[in-house]
Amino acid sequence: MPSISQQPHKFDPPLEPDLTSGKYVKIWHGPQHPGITGNMSLELTICGDEVAHCKTHVGYLHRGFEKLMERRTFIQNFPVVCRIAVPEPAFNEYLYAAAIEEIAEIEVPELAQWLRVLNLELMRLASYLMWLGGSSGSFGMTTVYQWTVTHRDYILDLFEEMTGARIYHMYITPGGVRAKLPEGFKGRVLKVMQGVEKLLYEVEKVVFNNHVFKLRSQGLGIISKDMIDEYGIVGPNQRACGFERDLRKDQPYLVYDQLDFEVVTETESDAYTRAWVRYQEMHQSVSMIRQVLDKMPEGGSFHADLPNVLHWNVPAGETYVKAECTRGEYGYYMVTDGSEYLQRIHIRGPSYTHAVSVMEKLAVGINIADVAGLMVSLHTYPPEIER
Amino acid sequence: MPKMKLKDIISPFYVWQRSFEKPYTNNKPIDERPGAPSYRGFHVNDIEKCVGCGTCETICMNNAIDMVPVENLTAQVGDSGLRPRFDYGRCCWCALCVDICTTSSLRMSNEYAWVTDNPDDFRFTPGVDEKPWDDHPLGYRRDPDYSLLKLERPAMTMLSAEEGLNSFDEVVHGFTPEQAIVEASRCVECNICVATCPAHMNIPGYIKTIREQDFEQGLRLLYETNPFSSTCGRICTHRCEDDCVISHLGKPLAIRWLKRYITDQIPAEKYQQILQHKITENGKKVAIVGAGPGGLSAAYFLRLKGYQVSVYESAEKAGGMLRYGVPTYRLPDDALDKDIDYILSLGVSIHYQTTVGKEIDFQVLYDENDAVFFSTGLNVPSGLRIKGEDHPRVLSGLQVLCDVASQRDPGVGKKVAVIGGGNVAMDAARVCRRIGAEVTILYRRRIEDMPADPEEIEEAQAEKCKFVTQAIPGLIEKAKSLKQVVIQWGEAEMVADDNGGRPRPVLQEDKMHTDSYDCIISAIGQAGNYSFLPEDIKQQLVSQRGKFTVSNHQQTSNTKVFIGGDIANKTADAISAIADGQNAAIGIDEVLSLGMGTK
Amino acid sequence: MKSLINRLTEQFKVSLEKQTKSDLCFIRVNKDDAEQLIRHCRDHESYTHLSFLTAIDRIEDNKFTLTYLLHNYQSHQSLGVHVELDRENPVMHSLHRLWGQMATYQRELKEIYGIEFPGSPRLNDEFFLEGWDQIPPMRKEFSTVEFCEERFPIREGRQSTDAKQTMKVEIYPGRGE
Repeated sequence: MPSISQQPHKFDPPLEPDLTSGKYVKIWHGPQHPGITGNMSLELTICGDEVAHCKTHVGYLHRGFEKLMERRTFIQNFPVVCRIAVPEPAFNEYLYAAAIEEIAEIEVPELAQWLRVLNLELMRLASYLMWLGGSSGSFGMTTVYQWTVTHRDYILDLFEEMTGARIYHMYITPGGVRAKLPEGFKGRVLKVMQGVEKLLYEVEKVVFNNHVFKLRSQGLGIISKDMIDEYGIVGPNQRACGFERDLRKDQPYLVYDQLDFEVVTETESDAYTRAWVRYQEMHQSVSMIRQVLDKMPEGGSFHADLPNVLHWNVPAGETYVKAECTRGEYGYYMVTDGSEYLQRIHIRGPSYTHAVSVMEKLAVGINIADVAGLMVSLHTYPPEIER
Repeated sequence: MPKMKLKDIISPFYVWQRSFEKPYTNNKPIDERPGAPSYRGFHVNDIEKCVGCGTCETICMNNAIDMVPVENLTAQVGDSGLRPRFDYGRCCWCALCVDICTTSSLRMSNEYAWVTDNPDDFRFTPGVDEKPWDDHPLGYRRDPDYSLLKLERPAMTMLSAEEGLNSFDEVVHGFTPEQAIVEASRCVECNICVATCPAHMNIPGYIKTIREQDFEQGLRLLYETNPFSSTCGRICTHRCEDDCVISHLGKPLAIRWLKRYITDQIPAEKYQQILQHKITENGKKVAIVGAGPGGLSAAYFLRLKGYQVSVYESAEKAGGMLRYGVPTYRLPDDALDKDIDYILSLGVSIHYQTTVGKEIDFQVLYDENDAVFFSTGLNVPSGLRIKGEDHPRVLSGLQVLCDVASQRDPGVGKKVAVIGGGNVAMDAARVCRRIGAEVTILYRRRIEDMPADPEEIEEAQAEKCKFVTQAIPGLIEKAKSLKQVVIQWGEAEMVADDNGGRPRPVLQEDKMHTDSYDCIISAIGQAGNYSFLPEDIKQQLVSQRGKFTVSNHQQTSNTKVFIGGDIANKTADAISAIADGQNAAIGIDEVLSLGMGTK
Repeated sequence: MKSLINRLTEQFKVSLEKQTKSDLCFIRVNKDDAEQLIRHCRDHESYTHLSFLTAIDRIEDNKFTLTYLLHNYQSHQSLGVHVELDRENPVMHSLHRLWGQMATYQRELKEIYGIEFPGSPRLNDEFFLEGWDQIPPMRKEFSTVEFCEERFPIREGRQSTDAKQTMKVEIYPGRGE
């Protein structure tokens, strides 16, 4: 085993500036700051208005879901997982269910798979709308925030009807989904989709064809091609760097292989491009939702037969399942030992690397006013870091 | 620095267009916005439907539910009398409680706003504490197409009716290991059935041992309350299953077959080693009259407490009705012997072919022992109370069963009529089918009124016993041949009872039939025989409607005499007799060791 | 995946643990060979992406198992590398120079399982926890229930009633033992 050499290395943390020199000021950005995504904080050392050093701090959520899940039965965990990422609970529900289904070899009925994709794509759209608002807000365009959150709420109305709740749907259960579509639901989805498309058209005019936005976001936080694999960067962040990688295409799960879509890629890899990639993916989601409504079977079973969930011993096994969430590869690593409880569950969120090591690297050298913009351009959710 | 384009300067002014649009927001409280039709709002519980099984409490991952006693609601068989109380400080509205609810009494309304100044208000018992949303028709309900409970039983393998007719082999094969685990995992461990079981067996406890594949522990649990587990696992009237909470939406757990499964897994020779019963003699003596389930159960529990027990049995073998009244295709001898041999192995002395009142006087037992328990059973057949019933070709159902069990020819002939609708009638009919007779069952009421177990009726039908219902026997006459008998019977009409009782059959005089049979088997009930009791003791015993009145612990007004079994309880089945035996043992022990009377 | 495993077994002391699906398998390697193996996979087998690093507490075997999950974007296959550590003295070589995010994972594992990675940057900085004086919380012997019961009072009036006992008292008092 070679010992770690004393030579400096690119992955070593940047040296902290000498605060006693009088050139630097240390300030805290967050945890209570509207420009921060969720509850986390950045410890910034600035020189004038330029960031000289950045450290991320998490720990404001005080949760420990992975631990809590070890002492709950498999069915009891199902209402827990959605809380792991507030704006995007459905991916957690899906992956938790998928991991169990894989280990316990449960076959999910076809209708349930289509309903899951519908749920996940609506979720992606809602999450992107929220992000789009936050992103515009961080660059000073709070009006757009009002618009997008409104349309997100229209999607939440759909969720309310489809699943029984607006945010924590608890819809995708191990074995399938919890209910069929209500009467006339498809029509209402299409109507909301129309609204979203109109909104996107307006957003393009107001945000993407906006000189101020371009001024602030183009060239901000450029991620080099090398960094992508070195730091495990995934999702739109890597697609904006020219990598054609999307789990829905590369390792299709559910019924994504029956949907028609192209992976969106760009090459500039700055904050503007990342936003533009997400913007295009919103259009893509709208199109996928229409395809799902069009192609999904009318009837059939929506839930597989499970054993009595009160005495459910999932067989011993180990698996890693993943899905493409709005931020990229979202994964559940599950280890079971044949008992009624989980041996271990590890939740892999894309923000783990995006918001810590990548953020700490990209923040150096930018203007302090752009820190919030940079952070939303990476689309980070602190809840994924401290599960 | 991006190049400045004119378009990028003008385009954002598009924002202004929106200023002419109406706001998206709701004007609360002027505009109401109800939740979606299946919104998961506040809980609603139909407390009439709820049986307080507490499964909602078990599944709640937040510990938000407590089961609490409710005013004006007491526990009764099949209902714990408790109702779920929700702590909305903890609830997350996941609705797992609604999905798992065994009676579908729990649902959610679509109401989502509730303002109060007292935080303790948010802890409430839906259905008991009245709420404005109790009558809201909308809200989340479990979709009937999916269930978190398993509602169906695995199919039990059985002999087909044709195979069954050709032998006295056991009809039911018992669960396979896979079936047993599937069935055992359907249990929700609510303990409601424990109250229903006359012996109050730890049913969820032993079912759990099947899930855990720990049959030795299972056997130990069974023997805590029932030394006839192998027998009860086959022929118990399983009233526990009637009250199994799964029965509200699906098929109740096959509790009886699961019990049998445990005992089938353990060979008789291992019983002693597993149960490890250690007996410390206490020097006191108890006499028991009758080696049926009641007597032997009392013997078992008394023996465990250290009493010297002598059992007096008039027949050749022990088991009473279990041996002489239950045919071997339902209860094979070796299954019964497994139970009896274990009880006897504990050092119970048994005197066969010793009829109390003939070979030995009751008074002697009374004087020589510290206490006497008797459960002599109902073994005198009730008469048909019609003219001509003393005809030699009128046999009693009990006698036929006893003959077959003792491998004697009952001499029923080829064409048999069985009168009655209880288990004895069904057993007698099925036994006759097995020895090659054609059987017609005559019953006064309808099939659904028959007191026999539904399975017995179904199996009798499958074995091609002919059912003639609403048939009232009128007269028995001599036939031309001495080997035959003629019965006159009339069709009956069911007349509703004005007092709300069950409908009565009324004979229609104009619809009389006359049939001839090789014999008529009367199986309409049995009574007890108490001729062995000395007059002075008989005087002390109180009886009501043919049953002795006893305390909770089977004690009579003579503190030394305890009675149990069919002659003392209303239910008159094996498990009740076993329970009586256990309680008599408790009562005797209380009297003898503590010197106190029993309640 | 089979050919990959064959190639790896030729060069390293690895054993195949299980192949859960066609695009995922888990191998085991001892801790001193892990860095070389993982570096080899990254540089020569195109397993360029580190999905995550985590640990499993196998208290019954007195072991921690580390799982490094690598991904190959070309073949779309994932490889889980298990490394077993002694639970009493859990020390693993730091691999923070293989991936930029590795140091963060190692820092987390130090905090929540108490696994040491000597030389890993900022290893002892607090990550989620602040002023934690208990045993590392993800270890199986740490009980969240006890922790809460010691610190937080249970809300008054929260009491559940046992159905079995209630029914015994109300329906069949005095019967049975």
